[in-house]
Amino acid sequence: MSGGVKITIKLFAALREALGESEFELEVVTTDAVPVDVASVKAVLSQRGADWSEALNQPNLVHALNHKVVFIDALVSEGDELAFFPPMTGG
Amino acid sequence: MSVSLQSEAIDVATEYDQLVGDRPGAAVATFTGYVRDHSDAHTVSELELEHYPEMARKVLENLGQSAAERFGLSSWRIVHRFGRLAVSETIVWVGAVADHRGEAISACELMMDTLKTDAPFWKREQGPAGEQWVASRDSDTQRRARWQSGEAQ
Repeated sequence: MSGGVKITIKLFAALREALGESEFELEVVTTDAVPVDVASVKAVLSQRGADWSEALNQPNLVHALNHKVVFIDALVSEGDELAFFPPMTGG
Repeated sequence: MSVSLQSEAIDVATEYDQLVGDRPGAAVATFTGYVRDHSDAHTVSELELEHYPEMARKVLENLGQSAAERFGLSSWRIVHRFGRLAVSETIVWVGAVADHRGEAISACELMMDTLKTDAPFWKREQGPAGEQWVASRDSDTQRRARWQSGEAQ
């Protein structure tokens, strides 16, 4: 079986600025045998062009799934919100 | 026992009064952060703070609750601003009420050290060369790590 997992992507700060988008819906095609994780979403988005590939493969990139920072192998499910951003600099 | 994300200036006196209420407890500690007029290498004329509202609220609420459990706080409050800020304006305010000064002071330090690296805010400085995003500091990451390693208690 193959299908698609629909998620919301959010980008912040320098990443948002470099890529010119802050929020959009994304459908990741998948099969039952291969679950979708953060790495596979990054791979799909990296195909959008060199600027996307470069921005999403910075070594210090942070990914947050449903408002919680996660590792790159975190599994992504239908309806999830996945955000990418640079290290945080508040306070 | 609450968090505020706000664009308006922080009314420190009112925040203090509301934190303490009519039960001051034995020890009250607070920290106020202001916009500096300089970074490491240049002058700063203005700051813009971008944030991820839903996540910032969750991170700060969890942080306040974990500080309360760790240090036995009877009250705590975290206020963080977003949007455009001028030099000398308040950015952040944290307060903690405990039975003893050590717990109150440590709770404020834990909250500040953690929010610097874990709360989704990003500073953009306006300086002589135009606007630029502020880079994260290794010293902030190291201060954060002290609380996880047990070096800071």
